[in-house]
Amino acid sequence: MKSMQTIEAGILAKDYWKRLWDRRELMYYLTRRDLIIRYKQTFVGIAWVAIRPFLTMVVFTVIFGSIANLDSNGLPYSFIVMAGILPWYLFSNLFGDTSNCLIANANMLTKVYFPRLVFPVTILLVGLVDFMVAFLLLVAMMLWYQIVPSWQIIFIPFFIFLTAAFGVGLGLMAATLNVKFRDFQQLIPFALQLGIYLSPVGYLNQLVPRRWEIIYSLNPLAGIINGFRWCLVPQSIPLYWPAVLLSTVVALVVLVLGIKIFRHAEDRFADTI
Amino acid sequence: MTYAIKVEHLSKRYIIRHGASASSLKEVVEHLRRKLLTKISSKQQNATRDPFEITVEEFWALNDVSFEIPKGAKLGVMGRNGAGKSTLLKILSHITEPTSGKVSIQGDISSLLEVGTGFHPELSGRENVFLNGAVLGMSRLEIVRKFDEIVAFSEIEQFIDTPFKRYSSGMQVRLAFSVAAHLEPDILILDEILAVGDVAFQKKCLRKMEEISQSGATIVFVNHGVEAIRQFCNQAIVLEKGRLVLNTTDIEQAITLYLGE
Repeated sequence: MKSMQTIEAGILAKDYWKRLWDRRELMYYLTRRDLIIRYKQTFVGIAWVAIRPFLTMVVFTVIFGSIANLDSNGLPYSFIVMAGILPWYLFSNLFGDTSNCLIANANMLTKVYFPRLVFPVTILLVGLVDFMVAFLLLVAMMLWYQIVPSWQIIFIPFFIFLTAAFGVGLGLMAATLNVKFRDFQQLIPFALQLGIYLSPVGYLNQLVPRRWEIIYSLNPLAGIINGFRWCLVPQSIPLYWPAVLLSTVVALVVLVLGIKIFRHAEDRFADTI
Repeated sequence: MTYAIKVEHLSKRYIIRHGASASSLKEVVEHLRRKLLTKISSKQQNATRDPFEITVEEFWALNDVSFEIPKGAKLGVMGRNGAGKSTLLKILSHITEPTSGKVSIQGDISSLLEVGTGFHPELSGRENVFLNGAVLGMSRLEIVRKFDEIVAFSEIEQFIDTPFKRYSSGMQVRLAFSVAAHLEPDILILDEILAVGDVAFQKKCLRKMEEISQSGATIVFVNHGVEAIRQFCNQAIVLEKGRLVLNTTDIEQAITLYLGE
């Protein structure tokens, strides 16, 4: 006899992770789709992935480095900024796109069944590809400025993981709320616009007065960006441990909570959207 | 004879909110604020209806529906708009869960509730075939194996590498149906797929469905036009306001009931 299955209330939650894994080819094709279509009919194509962080870097370097003349611990200011922009863009892309992923795919959501986490995973993969391209830019800058990395560079994947966990986790919560309350669609881009200034992207977190540092670090991106820079140039950028610890805990909690919330509401997405 | 699908006491309830649609945060916050206010100052009982008051009404899209579909059957599902056809197909396709009741299914199930779900206008026909195949649950190898057949069936060989958005709507439908027609499930669920495409292509679709059926598959078919059901189905159910009113192998009887409603 062929496979036997039953449908009743609560059935979609069973074997969830296996079903998600079974759809890995779908995730591959959706990732491909997102990468291909983004730069179709554009002149410079995939180069846009690098142009956006590059231009942000130029603007921030001029404003924070040349005009405000902030301290850069003896490093080229543009390099400091670039090392902050990389994790920031990874976070903001993951958070923004994940929060929107259900609405953007509403049509598929109401017509075909597969575990809905397929969409966030796709966005994660696209975000990592973008990150890799931008990372090449950073490597090029290190070569240009002759900055030699130390062994601490092996911790880079850890900070990439924290960035992704925090971004995806927040994104999952926002996506769930977005299904019902479209307000978040308006709110999130605005929050991200402010967030880039509240996080140490255009400046070093050492700039924050010592006694405020722990409060400043309540923003998990403070610890993450500090850690990311430390991996690259540990001799010039001291690691602020309490912030890294806090970021790790917050990022993990947010990710787990995000998945829980998303999974809890998932079975009703098609009815509510 | 064994069944392919057995539906037992299946019900689906939707909650409809009147007054405030509760679809924006502001409305929910406002509603809570007013609720709190009236609690604090309960003496202030005015008769005017609160515009932000949310009243809830239940709507049973499906109400205690039971039937069985034997293996290899060609079931036509009939009913007016709002009778519960789409809800039934959505439950069978896992898209939404039933409120109560149970469905037992023997075999792999594939459903096509819409032709061309997941097709992207910017991608080429070829890329779309692979994407849509993956959406419908085909494996990459399966698509590779059937690719030539899919393209041949759609009759758009020479445009397969053209962006999908440049296709005429007829070509888009042909390619989209073609992918779905090459699924090889034990049970195939089809919702209003003949509503698109010209007469010649509709005939081709029906022939293909007949072919799929002859290979042993069970087919559940929703269509507004009775002609296709008369021609294709050997069992029919009629739904009315969420309830099953007829389950018969006498297609003419079902059509008469449906048209006479």
